[in-house]
Amino acid sequence: MKALFKTLFGSARTIAVAAGAVFLAVLALHGPVPGLAGAVFPAAMLAGAAYLARY
Amino acid sequence: MPHLGIILATYLGACVEWVEAFTIVLAVALSIGWASAATAAGAALLVLAGMTLTGTALLAYIPDFAWVQGIIAAFLILFGLRWLAKAIARGAGLKPLHDEVAQFNAVRANKGLSDHHAAWLIAFNGTLLEGLEVWLIVVALGVQSHHALPVAGAAIAALLTVIAVGALLHKPLARVPENALKFIVGGALLAFGSFWMLQALGYVWPLGDGALPALAAFYLLGGLGLIALLRRRVGVAA
Repeated sequence: MKALFKTLFGSARTIAVAAGAVFLAVLALHGPVPGLAGAVFPAAMLAGAAYLARY
Repeated sequence: MPHLGIILATYLGACVEWVEAFTIVLAVALSIGWASAATAAGAALLVLAGMTLTGTALLAYIPDFAWVQGIIAAFLILFGLRWLAKAIARGAGLKPLHDEVAQFNAVRANKGLSDHHAAWLIAFNGTLLEGLEVWLIVVALGVQSHHALPVAGAAIAALLTVIAVGALLHKPLARVPENALKFIVGGALLAFGSFWMLQALGYVWPLGDGALPALAAFYLLGGLGLIALLRRRVGVAA
């Protein structure tokens, strides 16, 4: 069951990084320059990948 | 053009998973014979085929597509992020590369292989678990792109490729550049997931579908940059 969960969702860190990036994108979308979301989200994702690679 | 990328990403991603499943089935086959091991793998593939048909049919018939798109994108993001991060870590030397021969030896060392029923279950579970990732890619990319059949075809083509090469070599497919494939597929899945996630949240991509190759290039070039940066840091620390 644990292996199945990890296969489908990954680790808690992966979920936290993805959720954080989505949160930042939502903030950008509702901010003064919604167009920024298209840059904020991928940048957050790449930063998250760097973090996950280290841990 | 995005459809070609989807089919290629599915094929390459499925190749990685089927190679890992083949290693397990091969290790089990040496204990209980090819016929029994193939039955176990076949049963797992049947379960996966049933899951693919059910998942695709269910998701395709849900009328409100926006939230389904969000869920599918979330799965692709989780999956792509994991693969990209793992490939970056391995590329930078922070984690050892995946070793099919070591995996094969680990399965061979499993005491359960002496019992026919337990060995059959090892082959079944191994194929099912590795195949679950293929199932996820096929259903997510197939439903979202409305090209479920060619996407499923790409996964089947990958399976046939691995079976053909495996049958020819009769040993773990250790020379497959697994990390490079994971890196490319991770970047591609992350690009598709990012594109559809922001779309589901109401964002309109300025370039339309043209944003997809730009996103993939951003993740792959960024990933290469991270590998170089982390490798330098590892070198300095050593």
